[in-house]
Amino acid sequence: MLSVLSNPALLLAAEGEGGGVEFPPINLIVKWPAAFGDGQWYAFNKIALISMIGMLVPVILFWLAGRKASLVPKGIQNVMETSIDFVEDQIVLPAIGPDGMRYLPMLVSMFFFIWIGNLFEVIPTSHMPANARMANPLLLALTAWVMFIGVGLKHHKLGYLKEALFPPGVPKALYLLVTPIEFLSTFLIRPFSLAVRLFANMLAGHILLVTFSVLTITLMVLGPLVIVGGLSFAMLVAFTGFEFMVAFLQAFIFSLLTAVYIGGALHPAH
Amino acid sequence: MLAAVLVRLAEEDPTAINPVVPDEIGEIFWGAVAFFSLWILMRYWLLPPLMRIREQRRAKEIADLEAAEEARTAAVQVRRDYDATLAEARQRAAAVLEEARSAAEAERQAAVSAAETEAAARRQEAMAELEAARARAIAGMGDDVADLATTAASKVVEAPIDASAHRSTVDTYVEGNR
Repeated sequence: MLSVLSNPALLLAAEGEGGGVEFPPINLIVKWPAAFGDGQWYAFNKIALISMIGMLVPVILFWLAGRKASLVPKGIQNVMETSIDFVEDQIVLPAIGPDGMRYLPMLVSMFFFIWIGNLFEVIPTSHMPANARMANPLLLALTAWVMFIGVGLKHHKLGYLKEALFPPGVPKALYLLVTPIEFLSTFLIRPFSLAVRLFANMLAGHILLVTFSVLTITLMVLGPLVIVGGLSFAMLVAFTGFEFMVAFLQAFIFSLLTAVYIGGALHPAH
Repeated sequence: MLAAVLVRLAEEDPTAINPVVPDEIGEIFWGAVAFFSLWILMRYWLLPPLMRIREQRRAKEIADLEAAEEARTAAVQVRRDYDATLAEARQRAAAVLEEARSAAEAERQAAVSAAETEAAARRQEAMAELEAARARAIAGMGDDVADLATTAASKVVEAPIDASAHRSTVDTYVEGNR
């Protein structure tokens, strides 16, 4: 319903007879029937399939890269080592530092899982990013939340909570105000904001592409408006390219913020 | 207006979902299976070979850099040795040249000196020979002069003059004009 409100075209469609263009309801564009286990906890639908592909693709790529790894990398090994370098140089080292290398497997997994899940937005015949549903963003955000709190408690025991809730250098009287804010922002809002940022971006992109797709088809069918339909198609192509970039960007931002939170828990004084 | 739209949408489609709420547990379950499997596989199976090879490459890079540095140092040393050898060779060549020049000069001096000595000896010898010839000529000339003088004197005095009697006078005169 919120996504409907975020898009004027869908609002127009909600007008009913007045608009003429029939946009699909939100249920139709994000909710998928189960292939098996319908109504059960193991219900397997399109999102579950994309999640499994999001796991299998990196597994296959990294397996192929590491199978005959040589000192002089070439082909797939070169590509996958470059991706490791990217996560290491752009995420782990700037956000955590050299002692963050132990979190590299988690962050590489997170980055690829989100990215491939997002790419299904622009893959023909799929056109559905897994992260336009709240399940995966919530799962990953909770994982990040457990990780950074766990890292903080493991390395600083209860001193982590003290550092997080009572930041040093703040006048004691202000703790009445600062401590509840820090508690809310660090322990409650962080995971929620992580999940919502990813989910909302991908859902908005998905609705945008659906909107322009429906608009293009409808305008093409209506003869006199075929020129406007061409413009709508051009916008659809442009937004598809944009979503291609967003898919990568959101995976990067999510992984980077997770690393920043872990780095903050590892070095709370900074 | 917003509330009105929401109410209207809800009235139109009472089954409309709230996309923020994860309503399919199966999606979370399979997402968790996929993500945690990927994490575990990445941690224990997929990343280690690539990380190992990266480490080996880094170690090799460091070793190669060190070897290159050593080779560079060795090359600098070789260059220094070469320059030193070259300088020494040049110095030696200059010394040999100087020595040869000195030897040649000495030899030339000796040759000149010998030639001069020989020339002086020959000159002296020639002078001696010249002197002897002159003496011989003068000696030969004394008789002729005496004959000529006595003949001339006998013509002047119109009387025969004994040449042998005045020979000593003529000889004394010739000797005095030599």
